[in-house]
Amino acid sequence: MSRTIEFRDALREAMSGEMRDDARIFLIGEEVAEYDGAYKVSRGMLEEFGPRRIIDTPISETGFAGLGIGAAMMGLRPIVEFMSWSFSLVAADQILNNAPKMLYMSGGQLRVPIVFRGNDGAGGQLGSTHSWCVESLYANVPGLKIVIPSDPYDAKGLLTAAIRDPDPVFCLESERMLSMTGGVPEEAYSIPIGQAVVRREGTDCTVVSFGRPVHFCMEAAEELAKEGIDCEVIDGRSIKPLDIDTITASVRKTNCCVVVDQSWSFASIGSEVAAQVHRYCFDDLDNHVHRVHSDDVPAPYAHDLEAEMLPNARKICEAVRSATYNA
Amino acid sequence: MLHIDFHHSAKKTRMLTDPTTVTSSSTPSTQAHASEQVPLPGPDVLKKWLYDMKLIREFEVRAMQAYQNKLAGGFLHVYNGQEAVAVGTIAALQKGDPVITAYRDHGHALARGMDPKVGMAELFGRIDGCAKGKGGSMHFFDVPNHMYGGHGIVGAQTPVGAGLAFATMYEDEVINKGKNSHVTLCFLGDGALNQGAFHEAANLAKVMNLPVIYIVENNRYAMGTAIERCTSAADSLLHKAVAYGMDAVKINGMDITETYPAMKSLVDDIRANPRPAFVDMDCYRFKGHSVSDPRKYRTSEEELENEANCPIENLSKFLLSSGVMEEADIKAMTKEIRTEIRAVVKWAEESPPPGIEELYHDVYVEEWGPYTGTSLPNFMKDKPGGQA
Amino acid sequence: MPIDITMPRLSDTMEKGTIIKWHVAEGDEVSSGDVLADVETDKATMEMQSFDDGTVHSLPVGEGQPVEVGTVVAVLLEEDESPEDATPSKPAEPAPADAATPAAKAASPGTTPEPVSADGSPSSSARSSTGQFRISPVARRLADDHGIDPTSLVGSGPSGRIVKRDILAAIGTGEETRSAVPPSAGTAPPAPAAQQISQPPAPVVPAVSVSATPVSSGQITIPGALQSHREPLTGMRQTIAQRLVESKQSIPHYQVSMTLDVDPLLSLRKSLNSQLAGTGSKISVNDLIVRACGLAMYANPLMNASWAGDAIEYHGDVNIGVAISLPQEKGGGLVVATIRNVDRKSIRIISAETRALSEKARSRGLTIDEMSESTFTISNLGMYGITDFTAIINPPNSAILAVGAALEKPVVRNGELTVGREMTVTLSNDHRVVDGATAAQYLVSLREFIENPAQILV
Repeated sequence: MSRTIEFRDALREAMSGEMRDDARIFLIGEEVAEYDGAYKVSRGMLEEFGPRRIIDTPISETGFAGLGIGAAMMGLRPIVEFMSWSFSLVAADQILNNAPKMLYMSGGQLRVPIVFRGNDGAGGQLGSTHSWCVESLYANVPGLKIVIPSDPYDAKGLLTAAIRDPDPVFCLESERMLSMTGGVPEEAYSIPIGQAVVRREGTDCTVVSFGRPVHFCMEAAEELAKEGIDCEVIDGRSIKPLDIDTITASVRKTNCCVVVDQSWSFASIGSEVAAQVHRYCFDDLDNHVHRVHSDDVPAPYAHDLEAEMLPNARKICEAVRSATYNA
Repeated sequence: MLHIDFHHSAKKTRMLTDPTTVTSSSTPSTQAHASEQVPLPGPDVLKKWLYDMKLIREFEVRAMQAYQNKLAGGFLHVYNGQEAVAVGTIAALQKGDPVITAYRDHGHALARGMDPKVGMAELFGRIDGCAKGKGGSMHFFDVPNHMYGGHGIVGAQTPVGAGLAFATMYEDEVINKGKNSHVTLCFLGDGALNQGAFHEAANLAKVMNLPVIYIVENNRYAMGTAIERCTSAADSLLHKAVAYGMDAVKINGMDITETYPAMKSLVDDIRANPRPAFVDMDCYRFKGHSVSDPRKYRTSEEELENEANCPIENLSKFLLSSGVMEEADIKAMTKEIRTEIRAVVKWAEESPPPGIEELYHDVYVEEWGPYTGTSLPNFMKDKPGGQA
Repeated sequence: MPIDITMPRLSDTMEKGTIIKWHVAEGDEVSSGDVLADVETDKATMEMQSFDDGTVHSLPVGEGQPVEVGTVVAVLLEEDESPEDATPSKPAEPAPADAATPAAKAASPGTTPEPVSADGSPSSSARSSTGQFRISPVARRLADDHGIDPTSLVGSGPSGRIVKRDILAAIGTGEETRSAVPPSAGTAPPAPAAQQISQPPAPVVPAVSVSATPVSSGQITIPGALQSHREPLTGMRQTIAQRLVESKQSIPHYQVSMTLDVDPLLSLRKSLNSQLAGTGSKISVNDLIVRACGLAMYANPLMNASWAGDAIEYHGDVNIGVAISLPQEKGGGLVVATIRNVDRKSIRIISAETRALSEKARSRGLTIDEMSESTFTISNLGMYGITDFTAIINPPNSAILAVGAALEKPVVRNGELTVGREMTVTLSNDHRVVDGATAAQYLVSLREFIENPAQILV
């Protein structure tokens, strides 16, 4: 049965549901237990599962990320919460060297079935150090997978898939979406990693995005519809593996593509999608792939500056008009 | 407030330094004098130790030779001089106790039971290597023998080591609802003491009381930099562990008849009362940091003086003086090992290199996209999903 | 065997080495670990050590002479070996001081190649001015497909780039340029441009420009004629291919058929629909068959079971999968929508759910939930007039019912020849679960419901 719940509750349902079925799963991170989660994602989990499975850590990302990796090498299935993915940078060696390469370096002997999850992207006037969009940085590394839910239904389905996956999966959530509500079935379900979904059908321009900016794309699509431009909006759901098949099928229909990616533009998810669309749809394109990113500056503090820096509906509309020769 | 107690043991000859332990008052050590309580094992085990140490030495010598003959590539960090550490500490373990170390890892893998053939084949980058030729010298893995690497980044294995200990304790206590029955050994070099990862691991291990022993193989050089030049409190490393509330002990790693008893009592104690511990293992690296190191940072007098304290010679002398072995026995053992390792080198040379398809295996458990493991990677086919 | 000692590689980048000083002479005894010489590498001066015990037999490479890594620089005799065992070693060839030089010199005199640009083409390209125009890739492809010479067109894109709408305008069937489309245009052009592209070229006589490129002899365009081409598989097609091959190859299929009298069913449907007129509900034959198939499970639970390797799994819910074909412009293919608990639902609800899922499948696509957990599947090709056919089992189901058309036929009723309507159904079964008699019994039960359809309603 589907009810309406918050994004954060959907995340918790995925974790609690899997933990009830599998004693090898535990949750570890800063403030996840006694504080009920810095963002209340793990509210009530300590009560249900006890302190041996819901584990508070020191503020020590390298330490607990590495601990999780060691535990996963021994066959446990850790969920490691980063309060923010911005803080994962201090654990970069662990999450980029140890987790995704262990299987390869050991010649297939050691799996690392671990989930790293937390808030990604600008929270809201947190300034530059706390506003990282890590997807472009981390997607460059072979051996890991990245999922990025854009609504509560996907949050539960993708995190469940991540927990069940035998490889390291990075689950990128957004502080700005945690209170979003949506219909979520009570029972467990998983959304296959690596499958995109068409959020809105259209004929004139394919708009591809991931995570929170999908909502800005939907907003822009409504606006553009009034001008007679019919957008097809694709929510990638996973960044790695990338469902390029769904994207190219759409571009072959619309002959036009705009990628909206909340990370910086240089060597990014946006540039990767653009490169692949140019590679596979060259003869189907009526214009080069247009991209909308965060501006190439550190995230500012001031409210209006931050709003201007991030992708938004206005920028997406401009890009679609330009890409469809309606500028 | 912490008390720092220095216990001087009067036991044993041929000590470089007295074994010294430091404990914090909150977790009093029960093993300060324990080395006097643990007897040495019987003659067969002692002979096996000598065999294992000599095997490691011969493996490393032939590895160097193979490197010079271009059979092995990359970097090569050999273990000559530190054999008593790996053999003497791992001898104190039970089956199922995990071991993890840094990049100077051949000795630990062999001591933990790795077949020298698959080790040598790994050095040669062959398909029969312990990691199918994908890991190399610095990444020796042997999961059936509980050897969890082989890690190339200095200090990076220390939080992972805490995780191994966490997992065994979780398995014992949370899943099986029993009592902790495992101890993890996490080796690191003295240079790794200056990496942040170690300090995070130490703090976490203590906060969670994980059954892990951090063994600092203090061979006095962080690559080519002497410990006094790069590590604070170089003459009292135990203080660093005490700062984290850990039990800490200094052990002679050049004489296995001292290394083993001290380690055995420590391991047994940690198994019974799970908590982290720290060992300042006194040893000396006979060769350079890697085989391309000309060792200009130390004098040949220093080297000669330390080489005179060879752990293999020390054990040989002990076995001769105690009548366990005769000169002729030792000579025969040397010859046997030389023959065995020659066969190992030959076997490894005859192992084929990995096929190109191996490039795409083991990137993911369930393969996708360009990692399909077929002879032709997807990006060479005209198919979306590959990376052009 | 005497032991050859070769110039060692003493660093990761070393190719050649020079013996700076020999520490041993011919006839010296050496043992493993002894330093034999100092060797200058590309990085440093290093010690070269012996790995074996023996006597130095010869030192073929002198001090100061650079040699390649791997060159024999010394020969040792092991215990019990005599000098005669050693083959005379050839003096090592000195490594050329600079390997590149002789070849470079040989190549250099005389020939001065033309300057070449980075891409290998002559640097001063003089392309014909007629070729200098801008066109988007899809516009070029469309022009080719329709035999239009794009050079005669004026592009509406930036810097005169010819874009898709320019070609569509030239073809005369396309949309006007976008700026001409009024905002909130309620009446879209009859066929979206994107769909036209995927269709075979229409028999277009372009109004403009086309005469500039007369159709060359041998290239006659026949309206509707086929063209050879290759289309990459859609994800749907890949899934169908994989799953059905797996089903057909791993499940021992066999079929049983039965012809049913559907007169009572069709008259029931007619009367139901006349009562429902105006409510928006309309019951189809398929809806009635779905319900009948579900009810027939009660007497035949094996038909509602799955093969589970080491067991047969009986399902408590009766979930009937209905195969839905997807429109060609969506890429074709088919999906199976699951109508859950049909044994507990009224015909009207079954009908409404089937219609909703079928529409959703054809427009937005179904979710995994909407396609999973079926226990039995029905495939109906009756609407095409197909009399009978066999279907491939949809795992993990144990059976699938292939439903043909209800056809008017001469039939014998109560001993008299008359016109009646009959339908042939064919059940494909997994023999691991369902034996022939079980399948036959199920069809008998199904016939009971179909031929006495009032039971379907209760």
